[in-house]
Amino acid sequence: MDITGLIIVVPVVAGLLLFVIPEQDKKGKDILTLLVTIFTAVGTWLIFRAEPGLVRLYTPEIQVAGENLGRIMHGSNEFMRFNIDGLSQITVLLTGIFGLLISVYSIRGVSQNDRCSNFHSYFLITFGISLGTIMADNLLLFIFLWGILALTLYKLIPAHDEKSSAAAKKTIIMIGSSDGIMILGIAILYTLTGSVTMSDISLETRSVLSYTAFAALLAGSFTKAGAFPFHSWIPDYTENAPAVSSAYLPASLDKLLGIYFLVRICHDMFIMSETLRLIILSLGVITIIIAVMMALVQHDYKKLLGFHAVSQVGYMVLGIGLGSVLGLAAGLFHMINNAIYKSGLFLVAGNIRSATGETKLDRLGGLSVKMPFTYICGLIFALSISGIPPFNGFASKWMIYQGIIDFGSGGTLAGRLWILWLAVAVLGSALTLASFIKFISGIFLGSIKENMQKVREAGPSMLTPIAVLALMCIALGVFATGYFIPKLFFPVTGPFEFYGVWQSATVSGLIILSIILGGLIYLATGVRRMRKAESFTGGEKVSDDRGYPVTGFYRTISNSPLLFYIYNKAYKGWFDIYLRSKDCILWMNNGLSRRHDGVLHTYLAWIFGGLVIILLILL
Amino acid sequence: MAENLFYFLVFPGLLFAGVVGGLLSWFDRKVTAWVQFRRGPVLMQPFYDFLKLLLVKETIVPARGSVLTFLSAPVLALSGASISAALILLPAFGITSGFRGDIIVIFYLLTIPSISYVTGALASGNPLASVGASREIKLLIGFELTLLLIFATVIMKSGMNISLYEIIAYQQQNGALIGSLSGVLLFIPLIFCIQAKLGMVPFDIAEAETELSGGAFIEYSGPPYAMIKFTKYIMLFVLPALAVVLLLGGLSLTGTSILWSVLKILAVVLLLTLIRNTNPRLKVGQAMRFFFIWMNALVLIAIILTYSGL
Repeated sequence: MDITGLIIVVPVVAGLLLFVIPEQDKKGKDILTLLVTIFTAVGTWLIFRAEPGLVRLYTPEIQVAGENLGRIMHGSNEFMRFNIDGLSQITVLLTGIFGLLISVYSIRGVSQNDRCSNFHSYFLITFGISLGTIMADNLLLFIFLWGILALTLYKLIPAHDEKSSAAAKKTIIMIGSSDGIMILGIAILYTLTGSVTMSDISLETRSVLSYTAFAALLAGSFTKAGAFPFHSWIPDYTENAPAVSSAYLPASLDKLLGIYFLVRICHDMFIMSETLRLIILSLGVITIIIAVMMALVQHDYKKLLGFHAVSQVGYMVLGIGLGSVLGLAAGLFHMINNAIYKSGLFLVAGNIRSATGETKLDRLGGLSVKMPFTYICGLIFALSISGIPPFNGFASKWMIYQGIIDFGSGGTLAGRLWILWLAVAVLGSALTLASFIKFISGIFLGSIKENMQKVREAGPSMLTPIAVLALMCIALGVFATGYFIPKLFFPVTGPFEFYGVWQSATVSGLIILSIILGGLIYLATGVRRMRKAESFTGGEKVSDDRGYPVTGFYRTISNSPLLFYIYNKAYKGWFDIYLRSKDCILWMNNGLSRRHDGVLHTYLAWIFGGLVIILLILL
Repeated sequence: MAENLFYFLVFPGLLFAGVVGGLLSWFDRKVTAWVQFRRGPVLMQPFYDFLKLLLVKETIVPARGSVLTFLSAPVLALSGASISAALILLPAFGITSGFRGDIIVIFYLLTIPSISYVTGALASGNPLASVGASREIKLLIGFELTLLLIFATVIMKSGMNISLYEIIAYQQQNGALIGSLSGVLLFIPLIFCIQAKLGMVPFDIAEAETELSGGAFIEYSGPPYAMIKFTKYIMLFVLPALAVVLLLGGLSLTGTSILWSVLKILAVVLLLTLIRNTNPRLKVGQAMRFFFIWMNALVLIAIILTYSGL
């Protein structure tokens, strides 16, 4: 079996074996998991370097079991087909990197009360299956593997109280039903094209059926990635799951998978019509704005990050929905960047959680002194996600904005609305910045609380993955236009020209130079005459409760009349498709349950009536 | 690289922009004095202020804050301001060599000073600074959208160009963008955005000397405060220059047109000074509403007019 098969099978088999090893032997499980992840990560690197092409896994014809089984297995060669092209190579490589980093983190990073049973097994199974999903070319194989991921996602959140059980249930119901819708989509696609091979299909979106197929597959990709209106499981999941699970699935792997599939359906399998483009772009901007508005008012930092995990998807959808080569590369670049800083942020959140046990922003503060390393990395991630140059988040947002302006030069209706797309995207990034100011200052800046004096920095196995991710943020930002974009995306999309100019390396060099110069100025002038003093607060005594907590920062916004109304509705779950469809189903059941009056005669009448109807039909 | 360093550190970046900005700050203070029937400061006063802070005054750091973040914020603010100064002024003066960046890059680099102020203020751990920081960031949310819409309309009016060079070239061929009705409509919100970005009355909400005693800057002293002052000088030159580049046809360094360029900048600064001397400070909610509803409405009208060719 060649490497394509190995990187799928080895983690899955190892994961299944780990079920047998008892939980008490944590060290052994850790070591085995780490070894398997390293092996698989190396495999993903080999896949990344390999020649693109179709790979058929050799499936032995099973003769012993008789003719019948042989006939069933006959078509399996077609079934086990994997597509190694630019897109899947890059996604596979990233999955490998994230799997490796998070398995290192999880050695110490999952605290005892957060631990879910058989974490290692589900971790490895998720890893192998994700890789298989990305490379699968056959839609049936794809949906099979994709479905397993819903289950492992469900098992990676420990359901120890009512709230987390509800979140887990919500997750599996939303993802599960979207998988069902996808199967419907695949069936329609098969009727229309007679093929279930992704690389063969190229369907024009003209008829109602083709629109339905597209919408069904889109629903699957949107639910996985977490775009409006199927996003609502993510904030609940991240609030309740351990940070390492959030960093692993909703922040990185699910994003990679969902966006990967979005690119596949938008660029490979369907030829999009103008109307579809308009709808996708609208969904993208709605995702950006509603999620970031919700993030702005969160007081729980894990939930805040969860809403951002939704909001950032909007940018990718926007980029990919543009349909141009520039837009596609921008969307993919943002996918990579987002996975990096978002899983980094979740790991930072994990450090904070395990060091302090707190998840509310207003109970934290001043930790930059106690956890300097976590702070610096957290700051880098926060600046990246807010799109501050020269970090990587800026580079990909810059590409998306350019893509939008470029798109505006075309004459279509969606193109004429370019200012709208651009304005919402930029406003979203300003609001992202605002909510990350809250995140950073609420946790790390300001004065430290009395009960936090004993907090200690996390250990090296938790810091190393974060540091690697932070370095990736810097590297992908600084060398964006000069090196990474041509290197990573030209193989996927073909060469393209930038619309604007961003000399990332030069500007970064100048910023570093200014930091050095600034340090020299301080050394030359300031240090001699530096002294510490208590803050000036107009003569009042400063105490912990007298401060101005970050949670009150944006009350001006959430209390403005119109937004106050909308926020109230949002808290009640008006925009949550899960709650709305739950209401709808309960309402429909209501009619049925009212028939259950417990009177024997009524039941008999129903049974008799039913019999008559059946007889009438059969006769 | 040496060329880029020169552009960044000497001309037209850090040093040049700072000196011109200092002179403009003197102009602003002098006009304010005239408005209030005072004599006003001497020409070199802004530089005396700066040098005194840098060389004479001691540095006091907050005892309960994050010192390193507190001290690095002014450096990053100055860095962001100088890079955007170079990126705006190089095209403005028609210098085609050296590093460049498009209008989106400039838009984002110009937010670095605000973010640095906010981070520095929050790092000080002073509750008054926190109030200032929260106001600064809310104000930023308020005017950022308006500013972007103005940029987008300028891009549209100059034939979908996002390079300042192209925008200036377009104006040299077809006349300044302010020459049309939509151009005039754009100029008004642009002036208010600059006012807000510079933190001048009526948008000095984050500093609010009388109620927050300096707000975001309350804990700064000595060399770090000198850097903040210098950043403010640079911004006082760069933002009016950007307005001139976007709508008034750009600057020029040749022959008699130097005088014309100086007049353009002075006119914009004069406008800013007069607004700040004739208005009271707004509450942050009022300021946000002002931008979100009224200024955005103006820009939207301008966009519609642009689509219909006016």
